[in-house]
Amino acid sequence: MMEQPRMTVSAGMPDHVMTLTGIPAKKFYWDAKTCVDAFAEVADYYQMDVFNATADLYNFEVEGLGAKMVYGDNSMPTIDFREPLIKEPKDLLKLKTPDFYRDGRLLFALDCIKLGKEREKGATVGRFCGPFSLAVGLRSYPALIKDMRKRPEFARDLLTFVVDEVLLPYLKVQKEYCGINIAGGANAWAVVPNLSVSELKEWSVPYSRRLVEKAKEIGIMANCADGDYNEERLEKFNTEILYGAFDVQIASQGMPAIFLGMGRWQDFPLQAVLDYTAKYRSQGIMIPVRAAVNALFLRNGPADKIVDYIKRYISTFAPEHEISMALANIPADTNPDHVHAAVAAIHTYGRKPIAENLDEIEFKLPKRESFQEWKKLKSA
Amino acid sequence: MSETLKKLKKAVLEGDDDLALSLAQKSLEEGAQPLAIVNEAIVAGIQEAGELWKKNEYFQSDMIMSAEAFRAAMEVVEPNLAAGETSTAGKLVIGTIAGDMHNLGKIMVVAMLRGAGFHVIDLGEDVPTKTFIDKVKELKPDILGLGCYMTTTMAEMENVIKHLEESGLRDSVKVMIGGVPTSQEYANESGADAWGKDALDAVEKAQRLMDGGKLE
Repeated sequence: MMEQPRMTVSAGMPDHVMTLTGIPAKKFYWDAKTCVDAFAEVADYYQMDVFNATADLYNFEVEGLGAKMVYGDNSMPTIDFREPLIKEPKDLLKLKTPDFYRDGRLLFALDCIKLGKEREKGATVGRFCGPFSLAVGLRSYPALIKDMRKRPEFARDLLTFVVDEVLLPYLKVQKEYCGINIAGGANAWAVVPNLSVSELKEWSVPYSRRLVEKAKEIGIMANCADGDYNEERLEKFNTEILYGAFDVQIASQGMPAIFLGMGRWQDFPLQAVLDYTAKYRSQGIMIPVRAAVNALFLRNGPADKIVDYIKRYISTFAPEHEISMALANIPADTNPDHVHAAVAAIHTYGRKPIAENLDEIEFKLPKRESFQEWKKLKSA
Repeated sequence: MSETLKKLKKAVLEGDDDLALSLAQKSLEEGAQPLAIVNEAIVAGIQEAGELWKKNEYFQSDMIMSAEAFRAAMEVVEPNLAAGETSTAGKLVIGTIAGDMHNLGKIMVVAMLRGAGFHVIDLGEDVPTKTFIDKVKELKPDILGLGCYMTTTMAEMENVIKHLEESGLRDSVKVMIGGVPTSQEYANESGADAWGKDALDAVEKAQRLMDGGKLE
C-alpha cells in the first residue's frame, strides 16, 4: 500500500548527534564516515525523512583559509575570535583561495556531503557559509562593523573576496567532487537584530546575490537566505522591522519566499506573517513560508507546547502557502522526547492534503525507547 | 557640561571608538574631573545606547560599537580615577567557559555592567574551570558571570557551579549565566542564581542579585 504523502522532517543537529551517539568530538568532526553514519543513525532513530550530514556550517572555510581555531575535547571546532585571521585590512592581500583537498578540514566537509548524498535519506545538497558570516569569521564581528562604517571600501573588498575567491571555487569543487548541483548557505550573522534591515540590504544581500548569480554560471543553484528575524525580547517584536526582514529574505533569495527561522516563533504572532503575505495571496501567489522549531524551545519544551506550535503553524499557513518545516539546530542535551514529539506532530498534522481542521486529527505524544535501547533492539 | 564632554557622550553613543578615545584624553587635558567624564559622558553615552536598543532604534551592530567606544574612553580615564570611585555597585568576575571562544555578548555585558557601576574583572574566553574557582577564592566577587555560545560547551557551566560547591565557595558568590544557548530553564537546571538574556537584562539581574532580590 502506498504511504500517504506528508510533510517531511529534517534537522540541523551536529552537536546533538555527537552527544547522543557519544562519539568524541575529535573523531566526529574529523572522520567523515563516522560523522555520516552517526547522522544517518540518529535520523533513523527519530524517523526523520531526510538528513543533512553537515557537521558544521561556519568554520570550514575560515579554517581552510588559515584561521586560528580552538579544538575542544567535547565541542565543535571553533574560530578563535581573539586572533582573527584578518587583523589589519592589509592582511586580506595575503589570503589565497584554499586548496579544498588539503587545507584545514575542507576535505572532511566535502566527504560528508559526498557520503551523505549516497545514503538513502541523505540530502543531495552542498553546504557553505554565507558571505557575510564568512567575513565575520575572518575579521570578527566588531571589526567588520567598524570596517563597514569607517572603511567601507575595504569591507566591500573583503566581501567580494569571500564570494569570488572562496565560496565560488568551493561550490565548484563541491560540484566536481560531490556531484551536487544545489547548495544551501547558512548566514546566521546576517540576521535581525545582529544587523539592521538597512545594513542587511547594503552589506549582506548584494553579496549573497552575487554568489547565487555566479553559482548559476557554474551550474549550481545556490540559495543563501539572509534576514532571519531573531529578536529575543518579546516586547521588542516589531512588525515594521519584521517586514523589513522579510523583504531582505526575498531580496537575498531572488524570489518570493520567507522563513520563520531561529526566532521565537512559538511566541510571536503568526497573524503578522499572514498580514505580510496578503499582498502575494491577493495576486494568487502561494508564497512559501518555511519554518523551523526554535532550538531553545526544542530543548526546553515541554513537548505538548512544541506540538501545539507545529499544529498552529500548519493550520495557519497550509491553506494558502507552500509550507515546510525543519528542526533548528538541535541543542546537544535536548531531551529526545521533545524531538520525537516534534517529528510525530509534523508527520501527523502534515499529512497531505492538509486537513481543514487539524483539531479533528487525533494526536498522541509518542512513547519511545531511549537511543541506546533502540540501538539494542535494532541490532537484535 | 563642556562641549568636549558633550562630544564624548555623542562619540560613545554613536560608537566611534577612535573619537571617544581622543575626546576622553582632551577632557582630561582640559581639566575635567575624571569622575565627571565617566558619569556625564561615557556612562551616559552607553546608557542612552541601551535605551535606543530597547526602543528598537539600535541594533546589535550599534551596541557593539558603543561598547567598544565605551571601552576605549574608559581605558584613558580609568587610571585617573581614585580607587573605587565608580565601582560601587558590586564586584563581578566574568568569563567565557572552557572550549568557547565567543566574546561578542560578553563585550557588551562588560560595558553595560561597568556603566552601571560594577567593578568587572574579565577573565577572557576559554577560561578553565579551575581558573574560575581560583579567581573566586582570590578576588571574592559578589557575582560570577559565566558565558557560552555552544550547546556542547554549555555543560561546563554546571561543572563550574559544581566545583564552587565542592570548594565550599558556592554560598559566597552569586552565579549568573548568559549566552545564546542558555535560558532561564537551563539556569534553573544548572543551579545558577540568574540568567541574563542580553546585556541590559544582565545589568538588571546583577542589580537585583546585589539587592538580594529573588530571581526565578
